[in-house]
Amino acid sequence: MTPVVLSEALTKRYGTLLAVDGLSFSLEPGTITGFLGPNGAGKTTTLRMLLGLAAPTSGRALVFGERYAQLERPALRVGAVLEATDFHPGRSGRDHLRTLSRAAELPDSRVDEVLRLVELDGAANRRVKGYSLGMRQRLGLASALLGDPELLVLDEPANGLDPEGVRWLRDFLRAFAADGRTVLVSSHVLAEVAQTVDQVLIITHGRLVVESSLEQLTARVGGSVRVRSPQLVRLAEVLEHKQISTTLTNDHALLAHGTTSERVGEIAFAAGIAVHELAAEGSSLEEVFLGLTSESPS
Amino acid sequence: MIAQTSAEFLKIRSTRTTLGLLAGMIALLLLFVLLTGLLATAQSLSDRQDQLGLLSVGSLAGVFSALAGIMLVTSEYRFGTIRPTFLFTPRRERVLVAKLVAAVLAGLVFGVVGEGLNLAIGTVILDGRGIPIALSGGDIAVLVIGTLAGVALWGGIGVGVGTILRNQVGAVVGLLAWGFVAENLLFAFVPSVGRLGPAHASDAMTGIDTDHLLAPLAGAGVLIAWTLVLGLIGLVLTLRRDVD
Repeated sequence: MTPVVLSEALTKRYGTLLAVDGLSFSLEPGTITGFLGPNGAGKTTTLRMLLGLAAPTSGRALVFGERYAQLERPALRVGAVLEATDFHPGRSGRDHLRTLSRAAELPDSRVDEVLRLVELDGAANRRVKGYSLGMRQRLGLASALLGDPELLVLDEPANGLDPEGVRWLRDFLRAFAADGRTVLVSSHVLAEVAQTVDQVLIITHGRLVVESSLEQLTARVGGSVRVRSPQLVRLAEVLEHKQISTTLTNDHALLAHGTTSERVGEIAFAAGIAVHELAAEGSSLEEVFLGLTSESPS
Repeated sequence: MIAQTSAEFLKIRSTRTTLGLLAGMIALLLLFVLLTGLLATAQSLSDRQDQLGLLSVGSLAGVFSALAGIMLVTSEYRFGTIRPTFLFTPRRERVLVAKLVAAVLAGLVFGVVGEGLNLAIGTVILDGRGIPIALSGGDIAVLVIGTLAGVALWGGIGVGVGTILRNQVGAVVGLLAWGFVAENLLFAFVPSVGRLGPAHASDAMTGIDTDHLLAPLAGAGVLIAWTLVLGLIGLVLTLRRDVD
């Protein structure tokens, strides 16, 4: 089966700067992939090459087995948002979408459908200059959805969204992928997408450093879980028995490494051990992400 | 191609920029026609050349048509809408041709409004002041067709200039500096070369002053050549350049 996205030794050089350096990866249908790395890692450049906006120096990037520009009516296969602010401020949200729907030969009724989908129908006839950042994000998403695409590519979609907006986006992407469709979403903050994606690609200095499922990453980076219990010693034994290493903290809690709070909770329950506190050390995934991406290139 | 052209035409219609340009054009045109028509002596409005001068003010619509063409391209780069535009139509030559066609159509509207107002007000003034029309039917046909075609082509030239320069301020300043300063200087010092410039070629199309300018048809040929050459340079650059 043809991968939805295939990048082969994709490379982009600007003068002496190697922005993307031999990047190879592929995406299967029905997956949500987080494309992660610090600002300047080459994420946006990669997406621009994938979408035909920039030409690779060498290598190639294919969507549905073809170069983006070769796709017949690409809006029906791929929806993409690269910048949340790509609107003429003096044009209404509806007219913005109508210019695009005309180019894709879609009916105006489809414009109203996507406006309802992103809950912008009330503001559709207002000029974009009066939109909040969250509304612009949703208008961008609406433009990507016009052609009812099979692949959604979003660059930093959570930027500037309030927590409610982030949750809305997460639910939306989950539902989108549940239909067997594919999402590639970039971010420079792992925590923003950690609850949405099922696999991650981490790049730094234009090179792929990690390609794994989120679970593998969690285990690999040693995310830890803080647990308090009246039977700490017994709990530590049970966890060690399950190949989960533990350390005792100064305030009489146990840190279980390389696992999730769900797993620790289940193990404790199965062993009949009371648990008074159970908390994933939320920052640890982010810390290791920072560790991975701040390594200097070899 | 029809889909893309319709999309580009909607872009022109759906912001207030175009209305502002039309309003500016009408204000400037009224100013020139009324000043010339009412303040000039009857003597200096009597012969054919004088009257062609009064009735070809509408060709200044070409400036506004060109500005609309420039806006159609440069506002896409300025506001980033060029990204969704190329995502929806990744074959960039289609986008550029659609913009050219849409800008020429919009230019035609500018020309009809501008030259229409000019003719209506100009002939009413001449009539009101009892100055007999010294123009033949052929003169008026050349004037109207030449002005409309010239103003429409300036829309395409605006697209070419905007595509090459991309920067809105740079393209506007470049167009005005060329049209109102550089080309006039060139024409003043080397008329045989200056008359091949786009501004003088479009003046020639209205049929005025054929002693120094090209004949109307030759002017049309030169202006079409400018439109195509600028569009072609813009196309080559657009196909080669990455979009940020």
